[in-house]
Amino acid sequence: MNDKKLNLDKRESYIKSLSNNIIESAVDIVKIEPTVEQINEIREEVTERLQYESSSLLNEAVTKLHPTSLSEMMPEEREERSFERFGKNFRYQHMLMFVSVITLIVTGMPLKFPEFDISKFIVIDLLGGLHNSTLIHRIGAVGLIIVGIWHLIYSVGSKVGRRDFFLMIPNLKDASDFMCRMRYYIGKEKNGPKFGRFSFIEKFDYWAVYWGMVIMIGSGAIMWFKELFPKYFYDIGREMHSDEGLLATLSIIIWHFYNVHFNPEVFPMSWTWWHGQLTETEMKHHHPLEYEEIIKKESLEIIKQAEKINEEENG
Amino acid sequence: MKQLCITITTTILLVLLFPGRDLNALEKCQICHSKKEIHRSEMTGRKIPLYVDESIIARSVHHDKECTDCHSDINEIPHQTVKKVNCRRCHYSGNLVGAPDGQMYDQYEHSVHGIAVLAGNKKAPVCQDCHGTHNVYSHETVESKFYWQNIPKTCGSCHIEVYAVYSESVHGRAVAAGIKDAPVCTNCHGEHNIKKHDNDESRVSLARVSQTCTECHGPQGVVNKYNVKTDRTATFEHSFHGIGQQMGSKTVANCASCHDYHDIRGEDDPKSSVYPDNIPQTCGKKGCHPGASAEFASGQQIHINPKSEDSGIIYYISKAFLILTVLVLAGLFSFIIMDLFRKAKNARAKR
Repeated sequence: MNDKKLNLDKRESYIKSLSNNIIESAVDIVKIEPTVEQINEIREEVTERLQYESSSLLNEAVTKLHPTSLSEMMPEEREERSFERFGKNFRYQHMLMFVSVITLIVTGMPLKFPEFDISKFIVIDLLGGLHNSTLIHRIGAVGLIIVGIWHLIYSVGSKVGRRDFFLMIPNLKDASDFMCRMRYYIGKEKNGPKFGRFSFIEKFDYWAVYWGMVIMIGSGAIMWFKELFPKYFYDIGREMHSDEGLLATLSIIIWHFYNVHFNPEVFPMSWTWWHGQLTETEMKHHHPLEYEEIIKKESLEIIKQAEKINEEENG
Repeated sequence: MKQLCITITTTILLVLLFPGRDLNALEKCQICHSKKEIHRSEMTGRKIPLYVDESIIARSVHHDKECTDCHSDINEIPHQTVKKVNCRRCHYSGNLVGAPDGQMYDQYEHSVHGIAVLAGNKKAPVCQDCHGTHNVYSHETVESKFYWQNIPKTCGSCHIEVYAVYSESVHGRAVAAGIKDAPVCTNCHGEHNIKKHDNDESRVSLARVSQTCTECHGPQGVVNKYNVKTDRTATFEHSFHGIGQQMGSKTVANCASCHDYHDIRGEDDPKSSVYPDNIPQTCGKKGCHPGASAEFASGQQIHINPKSEDSGIIYYISKAFLILTVLVLAGLFSFIIMDLFRKAKNARAKR
């Protein structure tokens, strides 16, 4: 690293002296004493061009020495390409969802565990009593219901939504991927399975939420409008709401948080939920099949365009 | 000399004849008060009997006391004004005259009755109203005003309507039938420390009434002996009403909201608020669930215990979710642990 820096400094000083040399020669030829501004202007231009030429010559030299791996040799000098993983629409869905879910958990869990002091603290001291906490819980519920409907419309109505929905459907590859991952964990496989756009891990996360939404919204609605049904509907709804609420909370905390927060690869958090982007490295690592597909599609597109230009030129 | 002798002899005889003050004081009063027809006439013409049955005093806890120990303002015969006896002359905490010692005297002063008396309410009960006047028996004596079976009647002498309702209730009838474990007024309301129901310290306040019922209807409750379910408290605490109460809500239902307070009846009594046909009306009370449909609650199981097979489908749902939760969590945890191990291994290999 130090040697590299030394080389670079050396090149800088050469460029400086070379540009001085060029200006002196020019002054010698025209035999006119130039102003300071003129000299500065010319020096700036000359230095810039010399720098540009030298770095492009360096690139050429490197490529000649080692044709394939320019990028591998000098990765830090290259801006990494990013891929859009989640569109704006989907990111907004996720934001409304987690705001609602956190609200629901904070106001719901104390009622499942009323005997704990922290529960009483949240409901009585923080929220100002049962009435407020149930009201906030219902506001959270409305948020979640909106997300549910929004997502259904998105899955049916939007092109990306439709594509993603079909890609989310579990298939045989997921089963073999899972087995492969297990073999990888016990050391019988050198590399883990290669995932497409959605791994079985993400599919589990998605369908767990799907199942949770159906149970929670369904049972919650029964409890909300309990007077319309016989009481055992309410009792069943309450039992399911309480049990699934705990299961969903634990699943989120354990599974989702591990994958997007506590996993050493992304700790403390993957920011994809905010900007929707994945870097090329992440794409290659986590979704190699999708990456291949995108690159293949893009190269096909380039070939097609080149053919088109050729045709136009020839025609 | 002879005269002196006679005087001394007479004096000795007099002393011998009236040796102690005790017996003779009572006897002295009884000269008049043992006459059944003795009475005082008021201006209005009302006759107030002044007859004192000696046998009552003899059996009372005060049998060794003199009349004037309590009626301390009597010092002439015939007595002009006789005030109401003030028990506090002897009965105060830390007394040295042998009266029972304890918190009850202070408790009474802070009780709903004591406060009313202090405020000048002439109808509010003082000691004698509950404990009796001459007939202050031990609470173990059957004739005592506060022998357990007589307490409802004692309280009922003022709280007449409540007494009528209570006597018809499952508790009242059990007491009448001689079941000593059944609650009388004081079991729920307390004795000397009776507070108004809207006072949070009251045993029957919103905050505490469920706890009070639990003393008998809880897991260690006495009702176990009489084939009454003891899981009522646990199931109540598990219910939304119970949770609401633990969260300090003043509007959620407590035991009494559904079972009534004095008119508590068994669920097989058609007059009971929890008789299957009456449940919709009970749930639909104003301020509770006025929109409750007839199907909402009629013939439904109210106290649900998801851990008991009697709850039917609830039990199986609860079991199914338990199994699902355990399986899912075990799966997720083992996956994460394997993932971390493999990552650590990879990191080591790289180094």
